[in-house]
Amino acid sequence: MKRILLASLLLTASASAFATAPGGPGCGWGNMLFEGQRGLPSHLVASITNGTSGNATFGMTSGTNGCATDGALRYNGKSMLVLGSIMTELSEDMAMGEGEALTTYAVVLGIKPEDRAHFASVTREHFDTIFSSAEVTAEQVHAATLAVLKQDARLARYAEQA
Amino acid sequence: MLRPLLLLALCSVSPLVLAAPSHALALPQLADDAYWQSLGHYERGKLGGWRSYVDDEDFFLADDGAHDPAAELTATLSALYGPSSLGDRHAQCVYPARTRWLREQLGLTDLPAIECSEFKTWYSEVAPHSTVLVFPAAYLNSPSSMFGHTLLRVDQANIDSQGSPLLSSALNFGAYIEGMDNSILYAWKGLMGGYPGLFSLLPYREKIGEYSRLENRDLWEYRLNLTPAETGRMLEHVWELKQIRFDYFFFDENCSYRLLELLEVARPGLKLTEQFPLTAIPSDTVRAVIDAGLVESIDYRPSRERELLTRTASLEGEELYWVRQLAAAPQSLEDKDYLAVPAERRALIQDGAYRLVRYRATGEERDSANAAHSYRLLQAINRNPPPRLDVERPTLPEYGHESRTLQFGIGSRGDRAFAEYGLRMAYHDLLDNLEGFPLGAQIEIAQLQLRQYEGSHWKLQRLDLAGIRSLTPLTSLLRPWSWQVAAGLERLPEGDSDDRLVGHVNGGGGLSWPFSEDLLGFAMVTARLEHNRGFSAVLSPALGFNSGLLWRNAVGNLLLEARGDYFHNGEVRRRISLGQQFELREDAGLRLSLDRSFSHRADSETEFQLQLRWYYY
Repeated sequence: MKRILLASLLLTASASAFATAPGGPGCGWGNMLFEGQRGLPSHLVASITNGTSGNATFGMTSGTNGCATDGALRYNGKSMLVLGSIMTELSEDMAMGEGEALTTYAVVLGIKPEDRAHFASVTREHFDTIFSSAEVTAEQVHAATLAVLKQDARLARYAEQA
Repeated sequence: MLRPLLLLALCSVSPLVLAAPSHALALPQLADDAYWQSLGHYERGKLGGWRSYVDDEDFFLADDGAHDPAAELTATLSALYGPSSLGDRHAQCVYPARTRWLREQLGLTDLPAIECSEFKTWYSEVAPHSTVLVFPAAYLNSPSSMFGHTLLRVDQANIDSQGSPLLSSALNFGAYIEGMDNSILYAWKGLMGGYPGLFSLLPYREKIGEYSRLENRDLWEYRLNLTPAETGRMLEHVWELKQIRFDYFFFDENCSYRLLELLEVARPGLKLTEQFPLTAIPSDTVRAVIDAGLVESIDYRPSRERELLTRTASLEGEELYWVRQLAAAPQSLEDKDYLAVPAERRALIQDGAYRLVRYRATGEERDSANAAHSYRLLQAINRNPPPRLDVERPTLPEYGHESRTLQFGIGSRGDRAFAEYGLRMAYHDLLDNLEGFPLGAQIEIAQLQLRQYEGSHWKLQRLDLAGIRSLTPLTSLLRPWSWQVAAGLERLPEGDSDDRLVGHVNGGGGLSWPFSEDLLGFAMVTARLEHNRGFSAVLSPALGFNSGLLWRNAVGNLLLEARGDYFHNGEVRRRISLGQQFELREDAGLRLSLDRSFSHRADSETEFQLQLRWYYY
């Protein structure tokens, strides 16, 4: 029990308010923008123990880390849970129109390499729509992104396949 | 000893003999195979025989499997023929790497077919295709991070075109910490093997967050030339290590050693672990991997702090003022004076301010005021985006000097000449050859210095347990503390040209200023606790100061410093020292030092020494 408490304290953010979110609590779907990340209590400890942070998790999205694998969270075969953990980086990349988190999101959405530059410029242009406030959750960001894609002739097809 | 073993071997062979008689002959040779030893993490015991690094009964099928590779092999082979009703608990599912290897070596075509859906689901989710060795570099304000850490990143196919490292898995070996001990206990237990070590597999993006954001460490990513088959083989073995406990020791049986073992499983015939019989310091192991020809290319991922400092490096006086203003209050975005700044400079200022706000929020709980503030800056960035941030690659960490140091010096103290011999197990002090290390960071562990004065008069000069110093300069935006701690035995002058060995623990805190890129000044307040038989108390406390200059010049580093200790019992001790290192070659340096000490209890004395330092592993 202690282990679980510690794990959720250290590895996930305060997603407990979203206990009913798909995937279960701690999966990141209810994560808000600028969610904090906590680590071990000190640099010294972190560098000596190399921090498994009390969590010997052994899976990606399923299995031991407590996330239910829910079909609804899959998009194009990739797990959308990724989004919850890269929200802040994604918001930065989208604001500027490039970056690794933006590429990752494009990959998860199944956007072909030749359409990614266009995806970046469309999402940059609609940054205020996709990230409509500082309090958005991963789920809302995803829904808003799909809505934006649907408005774009070239990207609409990515929003429709599920 | 031998007879029970033999008996055991015979007993476990018997069911097998019925099932697959033709293998019996090949087994002893197979058990001697280096690959089987890799799969069982066996090493030769110090007194002969075998022992496995795995400290977990669940890993072994034979009763004495941890000490008997042959018995384990026999037991494995027999278990592979177990009833298929075992499902996911069948040996074929629990030990996919052993299964593959034995099947290939013995041509086992008659194994029962087992579904192993749990393993297959896991494997297809990880989808191993290629492997990257990840090395988080040292962070100046945390010298213990100089020891480094290594982990593996397991990428899916087409990582460059169809994927992203953020979707890759990180394979990490670390101490498994249960419950909340206090910090010091954590560190101590980590050093002394008080925690079991476990492998964990988690999203690489979480590791990036941990290192580049929480710990401010740059990440070096060494892409290895392991084939998809080799990577797959390694992951099959990793599955066998799920929730399996190893001993964890910071110095030797650590993350880096374990990863070398995995690479040996991935590519049979690799010989990496045998180079590290005593300690496995991560940067040394990175070098071993490079020397083995495994590295294809190297990527660099700067930390968030380095990005912040790079972004703001080109800003000047008033612009930095605006960075601080925007980071304090987002309303400044609408300030007339701010809007008068040219748009392309504002793009840099806003980005710098955003990064500063995020940097300060590191490790904190989410706070909606801060989130709203960050969001407003992000909106401003969105309307006026800055150019791409290109962070210049620092020197590769593996180019730094090796971890162990031998010292040979000649010098004089007062009018007595001496020769000095020293050994330091690890790692780097403020004067050592700098390439690959940050300026102003020191971590020394276990250092011994012996002196031979004229007339073959031997003395223990010093025995350091540890000495850590971190001189992190103030910048226009960040105000880090500088600090130091040390403990050990050292010899001090004691009047009438005599001296005395004292035990001490000391530490200090203060600030450092960058006078130029290569010149650093520091000032610290210090405290010291000393055990000195010349004092009446068992432990004598002192307060003091330590200040100085550290200068990176053309031939090496120069350190000029002054220390003072004012003891509660009235003793006052002051010291001025000057040291200059001449960096001769990558693995050697010559150090000139001059030291003058003043004390109430002894005459002032001057010491001069010329010392050759050889870095090796």
